[in-house]
Amino acid sequence: MSVETMTEDSLDSAPDEIQKTILVADDETHIRHVVSLKLRNAGYIVLTASDGQEALDIAISQLPDLLITDYHMPELSGLELCQRLKQDPSTAGIPAIMLTARGYNLEPADTASSGIRCMLSKPFSPRQLLATVNEVLRGIAA
Amino acid sequence: MVTTRRNISADSLIGQGLQVSGLPTATLDTLAARFCGAGLFLMVLDPSGTVIYHDSTANLFFTKFLLPMVRSTGNLRAQFIEAASHVTASSSISIWNFLPGSIVATFPHVEKRQLGGIVLLAAKSEGFTLDEDILREAGHLGLDATWLGQQADLLPDFNEIELGNAGQMFAAMARDQARIGVFEQEINSLSMQLANSYEELTLIYQVSGGMKVNRGASDFFRQACMDVRDVIDVRSMGFALCGEGPSKLDPALFGDIEVPPKQLQKLTDQLMNVLRDRKSTLLITNLSKDARFAWFAEYANQMIAVPLQRQDQVLGCLFGLDKVDDEFDSVDSKLLGSIANESAIYLENAMLFEDVRSLMMGVLHSLTSAVDAKDTYTCGHSERVALLSRRLARELGLPEAQIERIYMAGILHDVGKIGVPEAVLHKTGKLTNEEFDQMKKHPQIGARILADIKQVEDLIPGVLYHHERFDGKGYPTGLSGENIPLMGRIICIADCFDAMTSNRTYRRALPLEVAMIELRRCAGTQFDPKLADLFLKVDPEEFRTLLREHQARNPRTPTVPEAIEPKK
Repeated sequence: MSVETMTEDSLDSAPDEIQKTILVADDETHIRHVVSLKLRNAGYIVLTASDGQEALDIAISQLPDLLITDYHMPELSGLELCQRLKQDPSTAGIPAIMLTARGYNLEPADTASSGIRCMLSKPFSPRQLLATVNEVLRGIAA
Repeated sequence: MVTTRRNISADSLIGQGLQVSGLPTATLDTLAARFCGAGLFLMVLDPSGTVIYHDSTANLFFTKFLLPMVRSTGNLRAQFIEAASHVTASSSISIWNFLPGSIVATFPHVEKRQLGGIVLLAAKSEGFTLDEDILREAGHLGLDATWLGQQADLLPDFNEIELGNAGQMFAAMARDQARIGVFEQEINSLSMQLANSYEELTLIYQVSGGMKVNRGASDFFRQACMDVRDVIDVRSMGFALCGEGPSKLDPALFGDIEVPPKQLQKLTDQLMNVLRDRKSTLLITNLSKDARFAWFAEYANQMIAVPLQRQDQVLGCLFGLDKVDDEFDSVDSKLLGSIANESAIYLENAMLFEDVRSLMMGVLHSLTSAVDAKDTYTCGHSERVALLSRRLARELGLPEAQIERIYMAGILHDVGKIGVPEAVLHKTGKLTNEEFDQMKKHPQIGARILADIKQVEDLIPGVLYHHERFDGKGYPTGLSGENIPLMGRIICIADCFDAMTSNRTYRRALPLEVAMIELRRCAGTQFDPKLADLFLKVDPEEFRTLLREHQARNPRTPTVPEAIEPKK
């Protein structure tokens, strides 16, 4: 991490002094990297998973503060992942941000049965994602 | 002290491996831990011979005995350096066994073709015994010989070949670690670029979403400036368009920085002059030091400006003033460049759209002029009906697009009179039944004329039905009530009102107020009562102004009737 990138993102830095952990699940490597870099530069601890099952295992063992997940993933879709987390009392409280293809919308029932707080369509603005992450985590802290 | 030295060729390993710049402490720790397990000790000297790294977790034989010995023996270190500076070229490992009880492999760490330092890998030598040399050194260092022997017993022995092999392995691992470090940096840098591309893509997506040609240029550019401000932390973002038609707009600035209009105009005029020659992005990081723009330094420190180009012509520019807590960089410049390209495409389309629109309006006006030329008494009638219809449509609260279509239909409503003989149009006396039948054909003739122009198909109801009556006694179809299309009902009122308030072959113009009374009287029979009500709600003075303005533009048209003098 270079000093330059630190200053660039310092404006949007994490809301808390205690470092929060975020799990990023996406089967697309470049998305994982872009999202992780943006979040790490902003002071978050980032865990990554390249499919839904791996994400579920990590979520259960590491209990991250937030999940950012793609919708279309092998093994377990993003929605199934969120629903499984919601069913388990230990992970039910983990909020999720879902990344989807542009134009795709979730049914209200789907959001109700999962911890999905909001959706961003790809290609998304990394700045906007970071702002959303800060907002969701701040919302929980409040 | 016996000193032997042997070079083991390891070109492929060290030559490539350690030439990669930088062996961060974390990497050295990783490597040191691995070799520590095998009984080896890692040290790194800088080119001046100072120990800059050692494995602090290593066996005490190394950290308490060997390390202080290396540290205190300047001429030994000088020998390492000397040897290393020779072997830089041949890239080889040197094995040294002149230190008591130890055997040391050294190899140069080359950074950017310069000797960055010396890597030392030490081991307990084969056949280790507490000999004279060791006891003397231990004595110097104040170490207990028995204790030292116990520490040494924990370590495996190494001969020259074994250490040489370990050294080669170390070099290979160091090379791998360094490459991993480089890859990680590359991934980070690519991810950063990708993140910026995502920002750019999102912005372009957003801006092109707003690229509708029928949207006003000022609206479009205002939105584009706002969108850019969302993505880059620019304090103010503005635009200027200095072309013609839709590409002419007063400069505008959005954001935190307040610049008086006069100064803004001066700035953009000057910017346009620079950009016209330059035809590429202008970035000024310190305005006060720029001869051309120093006067503007009281408003901003930095400025970035991109030209909006259509072919070779510079039509305008987008410009940003001051970045919040930062300076404009190449990413901002690239982003603004993309937005400028998008905007220029919008502008070009808007200009083409305006061309086509004005061509069509010109053709339609010509058609109307042809009617007016034939029927000079009603000169300007079409335009006035159009204006009155538009006023009524606005009162009705219709959407702006529909209001404009009604205006157009008003312009064209009598176009069918082209097909009515002049003798009938110009007749001063009462028309015979046959003549009146001919006259009554003009809505259908007009509809037929327009039917061939796809772009005005939607105006046909206004033309075809403007002589229908609300009570169903009109022509050509005898439709009644709300079955008559709205456009027809609106134009009908405007048409009759203008006919009453203009001079005709058979009578002088009626005063507006009289026409309004007549309109009220015929509401529900001839006219749609709701529309008539709305029309009557409009202040007559407004109609007078409207008609007077029309007259001023068209001096040949009849004069506007004055208000009735109040009776005394």
